[in-house]
Amino acid sequence: MPESSETERAGEPAGARGGATGGGPGRLLVAVYGIFALAATARAGVQIATKFADAPLAYTLSAIAALIYILATVALARGGRTSRRVAVAACSVELAGVLIVGTYSLLDPGAFPEPTVWSGYGAGYGCVPLVLPVIGLWWLRRTARREVRAAGGAARV
Amino acid sequence: MTNVLATAIIVVALLAAAFSGITALRDRPMGWGDIAGAGAVEALLAVQLAVGSVKLAHGEGPAHPATFVGYLVAILLIPPAGVLWGLLERSRWGPTVIVVAGLAVAVMIVRMNQLWSGSA
Repeated sequence: MPESSETERAGEPAGARGGATGGGPGRLLVAVYGIFALAATARAGVQIATKFADAPLAYTLSAIAALIYILATVALARGGRTSRRVAVAACSVELAGVLIVGTYSLLDPGAFPEPTVWSGYGAGYGCVPLVLPVIGLWWLRRTARREVRAAGGAARV
Repeated sequence: MTNVLATAIIVVALLAAAFSGITALRDRPMGWGDIAGAGAVEALLAVQLAVGSVKLAHGEGPAHPATFVGYLVAILLIPPAGVLWGLLERSRWGPTVIVVAGLAVAVMIVRMNQLWSGSA
């Protein structure tokens, strides 16, 4: 399979193509988002199915977090104008969520009898949930600039 | 669950991650070695599903097995999804997906052991 990499080297590097939020380093970002989408969905599914009445607020938040991770994963993987907007929205909500839930869970631990992905700023997941949306938004900005530059270059030709 | 199997999965998952990490550092796209690594992890995870199901059916394991069963099944999705997603990228960033997948599997196995023994 190594031979097919030559087409990549002959053309632009992956990720430089317009709208390629899921290409190049974005491939890695989407993979990490995918893992979190899976983890959050599984966790929320089990919580809601087995003991929703114990802590409706925490478990509803778990479900919302799962939904946001799924949205971000799919939007980043797809790329393109609409997906880019969806991804920016999802990453922003995710960042706000991890900051709000993280702070709230430290101030009032009783509200979260069982940790969610975002409690303690995602400390249970190596604080990756806190770093992930920041990297996501940075990557979206970076690829958006490339896209504008590519579009500008095309217009001049 | 069983320490031997859990240890084997963690070791193989970390080896697969290391192998693909080297592929990425060598600036190569995903090749057969990376696919084989992920395949070996998946094979062991399938064994784990079988062993875990039998043990659960005999009443072993956590008192409330829902979370454990969730892990047992969900973890099977990671290697094949990683291979597919990584193969779509014909650059060094393809094998990095297997690095993430391998590390994620290793962490999940540690967590599953805690759930099984009831220490978390």
